[in-house]
Amino acid sequence: MKWTCVIVEDLQVAADYLVKCCEKSALLQVKGHFTNVEQALDYLNKNSVDILFLDVEMPGATGFDLLDQLAYYPKVILTTSKSEYAYNAFEYNVTDFLKKPFTYQRFQEALNKLTTPAGDNNITSTATDHIFIKCDGKLVRLNNDDILFIESMGDYVKFVTADSKKYITHNTIKNLEEKVNRQTFIKVHRSYIININKIDDIRENDLFIKGNEIPVSKAHKPDVLKRLNII
Amino acid sequence: MSGSNFSKKFIFNEKLDANYLYSLYEDDYQYIEEIFLTTLANFNEDFNSIKDAFETNNISDLKRAIHKMKPTFGFVGLPLVQNICKEFEDICQNATSSNELTSEYQQIVVTLAESKELIASEYNKLKEFNSNFL
Repeated sequence: MKWTCVIVEDLQVAADYLVKCCEKSALLQVKGHFTNVEQALDYLNKNSVDILFLDVEMPGATGFDLLDQLAYYPKVILTTSKSEYAYNAFEYNVTDFLKKPFTYQRFQEALNKLTTPAGDNNITSTATDHIFIKCDGKLVRLNNDDILFIESMGDYVKFVTADSKKYITHNTIKNLEEKVNRQTFIKVHRSYIININKIDDIRENDLFIKGNEIPVSKAHKPDVLKRLNII
Repeated sequence: MSGSNFSKKFIFNEKLDANYLYSLYEDDYQYIEEIFLTTLANFNEDFNSIKDAFETNNISDLKRAIHKMKPTFGFVGLPLVQNICKEFEDICQNATSSNELTSEYQQIVVTLAESKELIASEYNKLKEFNSNFL
């Protein structure tokens, strides 16, 4: 299965070259090319992709503005002609930084830094509205909207659903973090992934979902707050 | 970029960095032709953005326009012109008015115009070469 990607680039020749590199790699499926942040955001907030090839300086807003507004975090490879952005790239935890123009070999090196494509190892697509888990000897379908949170139990995880059912399966939070729909779920603690739409309230370093108190780590709190519609 | 096994070698104008082009596209001459064509198709729009920004004394737009166009020259084997653009972009960073940039601007406009002619000429030669030998 291929990684899905989107190219956000205002220079046509650079975008065409990237498309060519993606095709040559046979690892990537280009879902779209956008020349400004606004168009890209519109697409990305409706469609989940694995990788974002992102220019920095574009008309209107910058690539970093786009990252600030994204509801989820695909792997990001920055493509720019300005090496001064390397520090910001580090701040945004991007996977790699390609200075235009770059060779295909350099492009491949960037791909090598990415993890296994979603879809391998029986991973459910991150773009779906449900998941299947192995539980009690069968595959059980859980709709994303029914899941309140997922809690680590050592080598197992517990899915807690809106009807107060609990499903225990052999897995880890770290592994699930890559598999669940990133528009719906977010890791808030090393032991918890929650459904962002189910939060009732947040107090200090805890959040509450249907009476369940869930810790939010300092490391994850900024990401959680960024995802909330705070007025 | 497909790495064709074509043996006949196109001789690029000496002003173009042929090794640089081969590092990007190998000897995929058809693809290089495409790159030149795309560059030419978008050249005037990007060039005019630079001119408009300078003439309207919009330094912010001028920086943005030169920044956008800069890597174009790398893609067509003119990394030196890309560097010239980078130097002009750096000068723009500290400028507050077009008047401060008149001399550098006049130079870069000439450089960009000459580059366009060179790309167009190479495109035509390459197109003919590809139609004859590929």
